[in-house]
Amino acid sequence: MSTERIPSASPSVSRLIDELNKLPGVGPKSAQRLAYYVIRLPAEEAHSLVEAIMAVKEKIIFCSVCQNMTDTDPCPICDDSRRDRSQICVVEEPLDVLALERTHCHRGLYHVLHGVISPMNGIGPEDLRMKELLPRLEDGLVQEVIIATNPTLEGEATAMYIQRQIANLKVKVTHLARGLPVGGDLEYADELTLSRAFRSRSEL
Amino acid sequence: MVKPRVYRSQALVLKSAPMGEAGLLVTLYTRDAGKLKAVVRGARRPTSKMVGHLEPLNMVEMSLARSRPGGIDTITQIQILESFSSLKADLDAVSRGIYLAELVDGFGAEGSPNQELYSLLVETLQFLNGSSDADSTLRYFELHLLKCSGFMPQLYRCVECREELSPGKHLFSPDVGGTLCLKCTPPGARVMRLSVQTLKVLRFIDRASLEELSMLRINAGLAVEIKNLLSVALKYWLDREIHSKTFIEHLEHSQKAGV
Repeated sequence: MSTERIPSASPSVSRLIDELNKLPGVGPKSAQRLAYYVIRLPAEEAHSLVEAIMAVKEKIIFCSVCQNMTDTDPCPICDDSRRDRSQICVVEEPLDVLALERTHCHRGLYHVLHGVISPMNGIGPEDLRMKELLPRLEDGLVQEVIIATNPTLEGEATAMYIQRQIANLKVKVTHLARGLPVGGDLEYADELTLSRAFRSRSEL
Repeated sequence: MVKPRVYRSQALVLKSAPMGEAGLLVTLYTRDAGKLKAVVRGARRPTSKMVGHLEPLNMVEMSLARSRPGGIDTITQIQILESFSSLKADLDAVSRGIYLAELVDGFGAEGSPNQELYSLLVETLQFLNGSSDADSTLRYFELHLLKCSGFMPQLYRCVECREELSPGKHLFSPDVGGTLCLKCTPPGARVMRLSVQTLKVLRFIDRASLEELSMLRINAGLAVEIKNLLSVALKYWLDREIHSKTFIEHLEHSQKAGV
């Protein structure tokens, strides 16, 4: 959606508003607010913002091992000798790596698919970074593949597809548990979540 | 009479897409109002109590708040009636379920109730949820989808000369709306050959129930002919590719290749 040009704004301001409006989650009003914030910024801060944007555009590449976005190849996680090379956690997006890293639970490596199989939108396995995963499992070092796709219909379909692809290899395939969120409420839980939470209950 | 602001509806979730910061735009096929797009505010927040109920291929009962004219209604309460969990636990079955949803999304019209189509979708999903004979179930759905959307191909007479078809070979063309006798070939229409067995099976799918159809054994060559014929007809009326069919074929292909 493009903003209506504000008659009183100068062409350069209108252009900035239009550009900001292209960002996800930024509507026309927010774009105007951000544009006027940028106008009031000291010149060095504005330069620093431009440089930061250009730096990611020029430096960010995909890690040749885990396919995560990085500015060094291999990425710091794949390059870290302390990480457990027998476990690979498969995630949908680079942001999922950040979320899992914050938990400090996974000490192994990652594999980023950059999407999820979405048959209705015409996104198949060949559109994801799926084929890069299989060669990683063939050297015998990897003992376990932890599939951490989102618990959605498409995430589950992707998980089942990966499981089917690597079923012939002697690698354990696990899946993150499904259950109730912290602070959740049984009364409002859907029956699928609740039944899965019940099935994977654990001893206190 | 003024329509009440809040109303209830039974529906099948077809698909959903992110909307705004944390909202979800859900496409549903409702029993009483046809296809409907509705928004759920805050559904993508971890504390949302509704998101699990909004998964595609869930049959749900919900309350909606009507928007002002031209706006999108908001789902305020939702509960699952049937989640088709065995279907969702199997990759092949779930890919077929998504295929049904894509077809209903394509053929269903907003604001145009079609209870027959709703029942067909629910019945087919229930059948796929517990049955192994998936191929003939899909063919049943495809033909009956055309039927209840008003695009049923003529299978008993020649669409050109209106003569009743005699036993033997015939032609089929979705462009002119069904079967043709060998004498009639309208200029410019794409025509496919139609064997007498294919015609008989198509007529049987038209009359039979899903249970009756599941008892029928069709040889592989005939099954391919029927599949291609229906696929051409669906594509003709939908006027676009059916994306999820590609994934079903990918799975079938990789299974044959032993991957």
